[in-house]
Amino acid sequence: MKALITTVIFIVTIILFCTSCEVDVTNDLSIANSAPRLVVEGGLERNLNTPVTRQRIRLTTTRDFLNNDETVPLVEDAVVTVTDGNMAYDFSYSGNGVYTNTELIPELNTTYTLTVLWNDEEYEARETLTEVPAFDRVYSEFEEETLITDEGYFAKFDTTDPAGVANFYYHRVARNGAFIIVPDPGNSDVLVLSDEFFDGQKRVGVNPNDEILFALGDEATVQQLGISERYYNYLYEVFVQSSSGGFSFVGNPPPESVRGNVRNMTNSDNRPLGFFYTADVAEATFEITE
Amino acid sequence: MNQFKIAVCFGCLLFCGTLFAQQEFALSGYVQEASSSEKLFGVTLVFNGEIGTTTNAYGFYSVTLPEGEYSLEVGYLGFRTILQDITVSENEKRNFELVEETNQLDEVVVKSNRVTKAITSTEMSVATLKTETIKKIPSVLGEPDLVKSIQLLPGVSSVNEAASGFNVRGGSADQNLVLLDEATLYNASHLFGFFSVFNSDAIKDVKLYKGGIPSVYGGRLSSVLDVKQKEGNAKQFNGLASVGLISAKALVEGPIAKGEGAAGKGSYMVAGRRSYADVFTFLSSEFKDVKAYFYDLNMKANYELNENNRLYLSGYFGRDKFGIKGLVNTFWGNGSGTLRWTSVLSDKVFLQTSGIYSNYDYNLDNLRSGAEFRWKSVINNYNIKPRISWFINGNNTIKAGTDFTYYNFKPGQISPLEGSSVVPETFQENFALETGTYIDYQQKLSDKLSLQYGLRYSTFDRLGKAEVNEYETGNPLTYNAEQDSYIVNPVTGTTSYKSGETIKSYNAFEPRFSMRYLLTDNSSIKGSYNRMNQYLHLISNTTSATPLDVWAPSGRYLKPQSLDQYALGYFKNFKEGAYDLSLEGYYKDIRDVTDFKNGADLLFTESVETEFVQGKGRAYGMELQVNKNDGKLTGWLSYTLARSESKVLGINNNKYYPTNSDQLHELNAVGIYKLNDRWDFGANFVYGSGRPVTYPTGRYSQNGLVLADYSDRNGNRLPAYHRLDISATLNPKSGKNGKWTFGLVNAYGRQNASSIYFSEVGEVNDQEVATGQTQATKLSIFGFPLPSISYEFKF
Repeated sequence: MKALITTVIFIVTIILFCTSCEVDVTNDLSIANSAPRLVVEGGLERNLNTPVTRQRIRLTTTRDFLNNDETVPLVEDAVVTVTDGNMAYDFSYSGNGVYTNTELIPELNTTYTLTVLWNDEEYEARETLTEVPAFDRVYSEFEEETLITDEGYFAKFDTTDPAGVANFYYHRVARNGAFIIVPDPGNSDVLVLSDEFFDGQKRVGVNPNDEILFALGDEATVQQLGISERYYNYLYEVFVQSSSGGFSFVGNPPPESVRGNVRNMTNSDNRPLGFFYTADVAEATFEITE
Repeated sequence: MNQFKIAVCFGCLLFCGTLFAQQEFALSGYVQEASSSEKLFGVTLVFNGEIGTTTNAYGFYSVTLPEGEYSLEVGYLGFRTILQDITVSENEKRNFELVEETNQLDEVVVKSNRVTKAITSTEMSVATLKTETIKKIPSVLGEPDLVKSIQLLPGVSSVNEAASGFNVRGGSADQNLVLLDEATLYNASHLFGFFSVFNSDAIKDVKLYKGGIPSVYGGRLSSVLDVKQKEGNAKQFNGLASVGLISAKALVEGPIAKGEGAAGKGSYMVAGRRSYADVFTFLSSEFKDVKAYFYDLNMKANYELNENNRLYLSGYFGRDKFGIKGLVNTFWGNGSGTLRWTSVLSDKVFLQTSGIYSNYDYNLDNLRSGAEFRWKSVINNYNIKPRISWFINGNNTIKAGTDFTYYNFKPGQISPLEGSSVVPETFQENFALETGTYIDYQQKLSDKLSLQYGLRYSTFDRLGKAEVNEYETGNPLTYNAEQDSYIVNPVTGTTSYKSGETIKSYNAFEPRFSMRYLLTDNSSIKGSYNRMNQYLHLISNTTSATPLDVWAPSGRYLKPQSLDQYALGYFKNFKEGAYDLSLEGYYKDIRDVTDFKNGADLLFTESVETEFVQGKGRAYGMELQVNKNDGKLTGWLSYTLARSESKVLGINNNKYYPTNSDQLHELNAVGIYKLNDRWDFGANFVYGSGRPVTYPTGRYSQNGLVLADYSDRNGNRLPAYHRLDISATLNPKSGKNGKWTFGLVNAYGRQNASSIYFSEVGEVNDQEVATGQTQATKLSIFGFPLPSISYEFKF
């Protein structure tokens, strides 16, 4: 709901564009860049529908903002470990910056700690896995064009929020097996949700991503992830930033790096980026029909 | 203790020099405009070229003179000066009527005291603008705009073209006290900042204090914008209507209880303005579902109860509406009503008392199916402002009074619409009482030296009923240096306060001082100092004023902001006042300035204390202005050199960083050229060096989306800004009533950067996809010449 405002501001911005103009100045600017920072992306997923056999964490570094090379700077020589308080699980490097482990089976209400040793510095992050409610029903539905969505078939679901607990949700949608996310201003309103205003309610016709259109016969996979409040806030900021891109007409407070949950325990000045999350996943796959 | 000393010193100063023992008589009365009986504010009365006084906001003056004969000059810029020989031998009431200077350019007029006020007044860092001037300045889409006009003055600017809020001497937009007939306005803009709420037809004059703010004003740090509405013509019925590209306006005015006399016992003025239904839809058919319009209504009436007592009633009501079918609907606006009573208690004592109600509210309806709700937020305030002015004699004037303001904030109320499953919720209401008790003393010590000094004692009590969160460490936030971020401390419980119970009290003495020393007959130096306290904080998600602004009162966790400003100036007239020059320097020291913590999120946040942090600020600068007051070409040229910085723990590595309104160089040129009786031309040129902006210093990706990493806040600069606007006015032939105004904003079509933003290319062939490609985009708000035309006629 918060992001309704973002939508309003976005629409006002569109209107401003009518009397204004945008010019691509990518090649006219020289901007200062900072030294590469460690970026953590990944976490632990508990999925009862399609069990996750291999938990993945990807490590990369930052590069110049306007650098559009295909190659992403990878971190290939880090030591990655996750502990649940009793057991330590080593993650081994499997290429493209990804570290994996096949033994760890995430459990509810357990706190996991990620440790990364890299370049003689130690990084740490901590998350607790919380339960997600199942879908009551999944189905496809045709919708007319609106100002912010196109005409077509959408994958939808009904679900019931557990009463009396604070729940935070993240939606993922795949079309024919490929998960899709686009930088859209609606993301922070649609892809992540807090139950602050619908605690304990049955919700009908939830569209998990109104940017993803289906054709008849397509295979849709929808996921509802139960995430921590901190990861919700993080993703919210990520979606706001990736869709507004530090657009300063909208952006006061001035643009800031999105702060994740990873800390540099050795040298706090060398601040890492990214998030180590834990999520419980409700999933359903179905064919798009009339 | 320190404050006590200040109070004692002040008291001593106050009463020295007030003792006189001569045979003296008081001369008092009103000065008004001849054709309409509109009272004139700031008219100078000079006796034998020396002793002078000026009329107050109600056109009243009082001066005490030794018995004798005087040659009197009554002068006011834009009006013919009255020269009169008078004899003072008893207490006497004498009213004057001034006639407006018309088109006779070559007419010989007495100029001697036309602009001397700028030299002789103890006021500095002050600017006044009249509606006639504002109307001649080129404006966006031909809508004369007071707020945009004052931005052409040195030291006044805005963060971008679409921002109707303004920044004074590096201060933020919420640090301006905006008064319309003494009522506080909380949002001075229409349509997201494109236009200001002031209907130029209904405005008489406007006075802006950038510094040397006298003790009668308080509650904001940076400036006071005092706007007065027209009183209405007390002699005859008049009307004015105009049609422009954006809005249509009409104004009627006339006498009340006129009877057989030349002027009525009172007068009224009613003015309305409404923008055309769909401001944006004519631009493109894509916006057929978009509805955006505003309207406002200004009203004022006054009635003379008897020779010494008058009643004034004034009101303002404005509304904006912006909606998109099936998505969102918003409406918001200010409303205010002021009832004033002025009374001449004796020849020397003038009493004014105002009771004011002011309201600001906004409503936001989410119309997306399944989750329809209305969000409503309201500020109400009730004001009582008694003030007494005692014109002791020609050399000493005292003003004293108290302002009481009771606030009721309703920060948010969510209610479901159309039977949606949204759970209704109401955020806690906030109550507060603010008072300011002041005394202001104007004292002429010698022919050369004049002082104005005063003291304001302000208090702010945050009142119950309320539940206040208690945090684990006593503070809502703890700064973690290791992570360079703020951690919200856990809430350990709440403290309940009963209705009317004091939650937190603040109080402060605010000394004010200004002095003028005449170097020669046409040059002077001035110095001033003011301390200000601000108890309300604007929490805004954007740099421009939007309807979604939330005002938060100081309380347990949010401290008031305070400021000390020191200013020094040199003032000079040339060629008998045909030109005048002012040069001022200032330094401001600000405490507990508020800024957002990193990653602050303010919308729908009830406990705002966890979202922002307080630090210190400083601003300093120099302003040069040269006015040309005479001849076919009038106008001004001004240059400002300034800095504005903040330092807040946890922001920008705890180092000073430029504030959003920081601008090193600003150059303004305004010219109004009178070609002949029919044609007036206006032009203004603005140049400003680049404003601060934060560029990314690195990129990375998360969940398939490109993100930016940032280092220094406001560490980069946008390109410099410059723009030329021109206008032409075709005045009616004599006997005719129609007037045409043509304008061209951004005449040479400069694509000024309103912002430069960085993003991932998110669209290929009209399809939204994550491309992984980054780009930098410059946004210009008026990227091409913007023409306008409007027509005005009198009836």
